[in-house]
Amino acid sequence: MQSRSFKISISIVAVIIGLLFIVPILWMLATSFKTDQEAFTAGIKWIPEVFTLENYQYTLVGNSDTPVMKWMANSLFVGITGTLIVLIVDTLAAYGLARLDVPFKKLLISIFIGSLMIPWVITFLPLYMEFNVLGLLDTYAVLILPYSANAFGVFLLYQYFRGFPKELEEAAFLDGANKWQVFVRVVLPSARPVIWTLAIFTFMGIYNDFLWPLVTTNSPEMRTITTGIAIMQQGSFVSSPGRLMALTSIATIPAVLLFIIGQRSFIKGVNQTGIK
Amino acid sequence: MTKSSWKSKLTSSLFVIPYLLLFIVFLLIPIGYGAWMSLHNWDLLNPVHEFVGLKNYQKIFDPNSYLNDLFFEGLKNTAQFVVYSVPVLVAVGLGLALLVNTLPGKIRGIFRTVYFIPYAVSVSVVAIIWLWLLDTNSGLINQYLQKLNVPIIPWLTDLPWAWISLVKATLWWTIGFNMVIFINALNDVSEELYEAGSLDGASRWQRFIHITLPSIKPTMLFVVITSTIASFNIYGQPYLMTRGGPGTETKVLLMNIVDEAFKQRQLGNAAAMSLLMALIMITISIVQFRISNRKE
Repeated sequence: MQSRSFKISISIVAVIIGLLFIVPILWMLATSFKTDQEAFTAGIKWIPEVFTLENYQYTLVGNSDTPVMKWMANSLFVGITGTLIVLIVDTLAAYGLARLDVPFKKLLISIFIGSLMIPWVITFLPLYMEFNVLGLLDTYAVLILPYSANAFGVFLLYQYFRGFPKELEEAAFLDGANKWQVFVRVVLPSARPVIWTLAIFTFMGIYNDFLWPLVTTNSPEMRTITTGIAIMQQGSFVSSPGRLMALTSIATIPAVLLFIIGQRSFIKGVNQTGIK
Repeated sequence: MTKSSWKSKLTSSLFVIPYLLLFIVFLLIPIGYGAWMSLHNWDLLNPVHEFVGLKNYQKIFDPNSYLNDLFFEGLKNTAQFVVYSVPVLVAVGLGLALLVNTLPGKIRGIFRTVYFIPYAVSVSVVAIIWLWLLDTNSGLINQYLQKLNVPIIPWLTDLPWAWISLVKATLWWTIGFNMVIFINALNDVSEELYEAGSLDGASRWQRFIHITLPSIKPTMLFVVITSTIASFNIYGQPYLMTRGGPGTETKVLLMNIVDEAFKQRQLGNAAAMSLLMALIMITISIVQFRISNRKE
């Protein structure tokens, strides 16, 4: 159907656009290996004249203001724990609502689905005050728990469980299994792809959140990588592009590599969630 | 299978209770608590909160109050960002999806990944990378412009450039997500429709208008609504890139709410502003939904 010249020209367009996406990241890497003096000098140098690792050295070990590794560890811990909590409570609730004789089932479902309409900003300040009253600001609890109330996962899994054939569960019940055993042995394994999708969405959401961790933490060792970097950018690294770019490179490269590996599941997940 | 006795109901309830508790504590209570806060003179450091009724809301609508400026100036700036960014986010997302789908099968996956990569980066990294690219003197973009003999552009310190820069950084960061959703929808359009269109002698453009667009309408609505909500919630990009400048021209509503809450410590005022912002967002979503359904 398509002519050869059409294919070639469309591929060239794709390459040019691709460069626009890649250039900012390459420029970040290039700058991170430059001295600040060279970074500020006019002229476009993709390969540093003086190749230096000083920026990385300083960022990683040279000063106590930037516990980058601690920030990364915080972000991973918060992201993974938050995701696990969401997965556990959401699968349980969604299965209960989809299949079991939960009292007030219809009311609960409509409240949960209705809550998806509520903009996040409405709970932002009262949640802050709630954690303030509980004395839990600047702890892992404040960085993890608020994400668990989101009904998106319950809604997603509820739809999946409703479409799941009843026969398998019924056979297990006939064999004398109780609800919990059926849920763990029959239902959960079948829902693995949807659960995986929810996990990726949830993790990305927590890992990339900015405003909430920014206002609820203040000690340097409780920062997540996203907020830690922002504070350095406004603080002592402000006039050192080399150090800033080393800092962002350290934070970015693992995330990008993970993303390239995980994006297939992510895209497959978008298909399965039926977002269309 | 399950007997509907009270015992069975009890064990079934155990499945829902953990989530229900979290939902109550971290969503329902905050909603009520927020409304309650907005009715008080609520200073962050003062333990006594005086009940003032609807006075905080009255101040927002009183042209002589600084809250009026804070809310409506912020809203105007946020609305500008929404109006500039949403059409671009939707159109470019769809454009990239069409481009990727036209590519030969072997290289399709590579380009889809490349366009999607910035989505893995967090907002502070996005801001820092773009601040450096857009720097007036040392920035890569102005240096390339100079080579082309274009006068340098004050990307972050003058209008309309500050808005253009914010939209550009946001586009680079998030467009991959919209693209993936559109690719997904395009793949679901039935081949037969296209074949029938080709047989009728429809051109590529006619097929796009008469077959593709109507088929992906629900996805279009989804992307428009989610992009609008995301753009309404913009905070990190102006906070880090323009710091609200030049002047307060790009100081968005959420930045004003955060300042009123944590710099002025007036949580009652800020809670009232949050509630109004949420109401506006809900209204816009409903309007978008209604308009799109009427056209059918």
